[in-house]
Amino acid sequence: MSTAVEPALTDLQTVVDDVWTSFLGGDEPLIPGAPGDTEVGWSASVTVTGAWEGMISVELPAAMAEEVCRRMLGVEETQDEDVADAVGELVNMIGGNVKSLMPGPSVLSLPVVAAGRVARSSDTTEVCRLDAWWAGSPLVVCVHLHGGHQH
Amino acid sequence: MHALIIDDSRAMRSILRRIVTDLGFDTLEAGHGQEALDHFEAGRVPELCLIDWNMPVMDGYTFVTKVRENPDWRDVTLMMVTTESEHGQIVRALAAGAHEYVIKPFTPDAIVDKLELLGLVQGEVPA
Repeated sequence: MSTAVEPALTDLQTVVDDVWTSFLGGDEPLIPGAPGDTEVGWSASVTVTGAWEGMISVELPAAMAEEVCRRMLGVEETQDEDVADAVGELVNMIGGNVKSLMPGPSVLSLPVVAAGRVARSSDTTEVCRLDAWWAGSPLVVCVHLHGGHQH
Repeated sequence: MHALIIDDSRAMRSILRRIVTDLGFDTLEAGHGQEALDHFEAGRVPELCLIDWNMPVMDGYTFVTKVRENPDWRDVTLMMVTTESEHGQIVRALAAGAHEYVIKPFTPDAIVDKLELLGLVQGEVPA
């Protein structure tokens, strides 16, 4: 039996900010803000199953995903395979830390990454959404609950 | 000294490689636990392993238990570097034979501090 607890927006923001600061450099801070007109270039999600069941997703424009890849890999040129890897690792870290805030024990899936928007089960409800800007581009991080929990 | 970096993310392997290379380690890499065991079985036994938990084929916890089953590999230092931060999981990994545990995201200093605690690096580290 899972518990329909949801993370607070401030907690999600702290998690995302920690990931950004640790791996993408503090010179270009992540700024929470109004939703942007995001053309989703890349997205990724992880699911959590167990005492808490949910999905965490990240959506970002292609140019931002490529910059994330350049910074994480320390390269100038990027290939789609590497961009997918970097975006997947981002959502893995964000999802793993969201999982740690929720009731356990639970299990984190491997990331699913897509060029465009990742598929999402219709049996989920968005319960927390962080809109933020980095280097002048918008990104979105969402937490969804599984099993049609309503609040 | 050699460090084996075991993570299914090439980006994360790259980040860890830059940190430990700056500390003077030569590095090997593996995308999952079985690939890492293949290095061991081929005679490429490192002094240090940095191990993700969630990986395809063989996860990091299973890898730790496999390494600890072989007395010839008892001197290898095993450090988990993972998003798994549930207390129960940390206890499991340490009980299975991991020496240290770093939770992602981390700073380079966090890795350096742990390696100093383990006696694998000493003193000032190049920037």
